[in-house]
Amino acid sequence: MTDHGIELAGALIGFGLLMGLGAVGAAFGDGLAGNAFISGIARQPEAQGRMIPWLFTIVGLVEAMYFINLAFGFVFLGQVR
Amino acid sequence: MNIDVNQPTVSLGCGQWCTFNYNSLISSALAVLITIAVAFWIRSQLQSGTPTKVQAIFEWGYDLLRGLIKQNVSDEALFILPLAMTLFLFILVANWLEFFPLGIFPALHAANADWNQTLAMGLIVFLVVQWYSVRVQGWYGYFRRFTKPFELPIPFRILFIPLNIVEEAVKPVTLSLRLFGNIFAGGIMIFLIASAGYHLDFLGPVPHSAISTVLLGVWKAFDVIFIGFIQAFIFMLLTVIYFGMAREGLEEEEPHRPSELAAGRTLTQIQEGTND
Repeated sequence: MTDHGIELAGALIGFGLLMGLGAVGAAFGDGLAGNAFISGIARQPEAQGRMIPWLFTIVGLVEAMYFINLAFGFVFLGQVR
Repeated sequence: MNIDVNQPTVSLGCGQWCTFNYNSLISSALAVLITIAVAFWIRSQLQSGTPTKVQAIFEWGYDLLRGLIKQNVSDEALFILPLAMTLFLFILVANWLEFFPLGIFPALHAANADWNQTLAMGLIVFLVVQWYSVRVQGWYGYFRRFTKPFELPIPFRILFIPLNIVEEAVKPVTLSLRLFGNIFAGGIMIFLIASAGYHLDFLGPVPHSAISTVLLGVWKAFDVIFIGFIQAFIFMLLTVIYFGMAREGLEEEEPHRPSELAAGRTLTQIQEGTND
């Protein structure tokens, strides 16, 4: 096994961990936001129109972390040629 | 498969500080030109009396943003409105540029897929927020703000100073990384989907480019249009919220401001610092 092979294997394992754990966090955050959204609708159905933009804002904020992970995962993966 | 994450650069011959990513410069210049053109076009559409459709949309957005600023910052802080609106429009145009097949122009990419670009905008917001904080609170209030939370006794508040400094300094970094990460990852996904056709041999006689085109259309409709809009909105929203945070500690020192009483907030709400 060459040094390059070890580097590549380590980078790929790290990339997989980054993606998997990041997805866990993003899914958890999305779930919390959706939970609060549905509770809000159940309690106050007429407020649905006012909630939807804020739901998507929060979802965008939460998923931004995952996308940062994805981008930097590729940056780090790109360091190993 | 090899994804090149480095931007093509042009050097003016004086080291790292005057080496430019020329594709980001060209792309953002294009986005700036389109933003200005759109702004002038909207200006030409304005009329008093019955508003046109474009005017109605932008007046709705303007009212929304003004309400946000009045609610989160203050009634006198409407100078934020042009800054936030410009940032929103520019980021939106720069993100939506990626909807067009930029891959055929090597000198173009989504302008925000370069951290230098987004960090510049984040730093501008950061500096203006610091200026606003000093102007509104004075130097005493500005430094006092770093000893949050205010209700604790003094020794504990001193312990919180490093935490507050980090919290403040990390704002432009997170603000810019959020936008950069989203747009950059979107570009990488577009590249991956476009090259996915080569891995679909098992599908037999279906032309690979057709599948890639359909997948690309779906992905671009979601990522570029939807995520691009959401990210531009979040950048604008956080700008306004940071301006609101720059006023922290101000209400507690003068809780009985007549303008707030006139605006319909009860005395209890003002003392608790809550809105509506």
